[in-house]
Amino acid sequence: MQILKESSMMAFNKTVEKGPKWVIDTLKNKGLTGRGGAGFPTGTKWEMVFNEKETEKYVVCNADEGEPGTFKDRMIIEKNPKTLIEGIMIACHVITAKKAFIYLRGEYECLKENLQKTIDEVNTSDIEIQIFQGAGAYVCGDETAILRSIEGYRGHPSLKPPFPTVQGLFEKPTIINNVETLTNVPLALMMDDWDPKLKLFSLSGKVKHPGVYELKEGTPLSKLIKLGDGEPKAIHFGCFGGCLAYEQFKDIPLTPEEVLKADCFLGSCAVIVTDKKTSIIDVATNIAKFYEFESCGKCTPCREGTMRVLAILENIAMGQANSADIDTLLELAIVIRDTSFCGLGQTATNHVINAIKYFREEFEERLCKSE
Amino acid sequence: MDKKEGEELLPKLLQEQENNGWISERALKAISKQINIPISRVYGVATFYSHLHLKKQGQYIIEICNSPSCYLNGSMDIIKVIEKELKIKSGETTVDGKFSLHIGSCIGCCDKAPAMLINKKVYGNLTKGKILEVLKECRS
Repeated sequence: MQILKESSMMAFNKTVEKGPKWVIDTLKNKGLTGRGGAGFPTGTKWEMVFNEKETEKYVVCNADEGEPGTFKDRMIIEKNPKTLIEGIMIACHVITAKKAFIYLRGEYECLKENLQKTIDEVNTSDIEIQIFQGAGAYVCGDETAILRSIEGYRGHPSLKPPFPTVQGLFEKPTIINNVETLTNVPLALMMDDWDPKLKLFSLSGKVKHPGVYELKEGTPLSKLIKLGDGEPKAIHFGCFGGCLAYEQFKDIPLTPEEVLKADCFLGSCAVIVTDKKTSIIDVATNIAKFYEFESCGKCTPCREGTMRVLAILENIAMGQANSADIDTLLELAIVIRDTSFCGLGQTATNHVINAIKYFREEFEERLCKSE
Repeated sequence: MDKKEGEELLPKLLQEQENNGWISERALKAISKQINIPISRVYGVATFYSHLHLKKQGQYIIEICNSPSCYLNGSMDIIKVIEKELKIKSGETTVDGKFSLHIGSCIGCCDKAPAMLINKKVYGNLTKGKILEVLKECRS
């Protein structure tokens, strides 16, 4: 795997020697983009923070991998923490930040000890790298919510602009990057044959061989499914990315653009397989429960809406709904998508909208028989 | 570098949770005083996160994942086994103060589904037999 290669501080040393501009240009030329889901060009983000006049700046590594079905960052922290720390050090050096935070999700506490050991071993510079442990909140994967959480507030997302690159942690310019992105930085800087298209896919659900697979962006979905050995009815791209009907889309190339054409988001490249024996309504109800629980409560459409979506889905699942309920559910799902404050709410009902689009018969079969 | 105001709040709450297994009203007040942050904000943060408990917890905090990957691999059956064995539902603690049960969100162990955490330690590829064995181990 490319992501498990090591640079052994060569990239950091070269950064010190060649300076920030070289790093920014190289990352731009090599085409490194964010691996947390949004896919923003890393070099451009760093340049924005670099150009800010402020003297106090921060680097935050987003290790709050909360998206269900995603576990690639856990693998990196377990197997290649050295390169991750080097990536963080390079980011700090480029923007002259004296302090970096690794926001490690509460569920990954077991990785903390080894990660701290690696920091102590690798970080010989005067940069301070602090592991900041989360305490269980999905919304803290949002970059603005992470910042509020570190600052000691409820982890609510905040309005952009100002973007964190201008006003981030403690209102200072801040680089926030995902674990996979930062680990790729030293590799992109040092390896001549580094490939920006190689990405990590987390495959789980009803497959014989779940796990992290490194594939070229654009690989057909069916190839990933073959590697995992499954017979899917539907595919969910995590919880937020929505679902699609496998038979119809099995040859879809796994790129953000192609997946978007099927009204889904590839995001952090989580692929969850639902087999033919499982009802899509039951999976939808399960995901709705997740969102009802994880909605942070800041905005009304998400707080109240996710609760109502769950209630209607439970009614359908129990065979107590009529056909008007499906239309109400769809309308509600669209309103939540269009009016929620942050990415959590805006994507919380993708899976419902798509499930109705691709599997409407299944919903209709479950309707109240006496109608 | 000097610590900023607020930066110490969540780490202190987590420390209290780890030391005592839960966070009492007294502890909240003490933390508020110690780092000079109003009790309302301390309470707000403490109630925001699912790993911070303001009710006394059992010696072993069981957190079962019920997100899609685990759900598709039978997490509901696992939950039923534990509920029956411990005679408690999610959010409750056994009378003897040994176990607390929480059904929660994805713990990032989708490749070992169904999975759970007991006091933050991962137990994956769960079966009925495996669970009963783990619970027995905790009891002894």
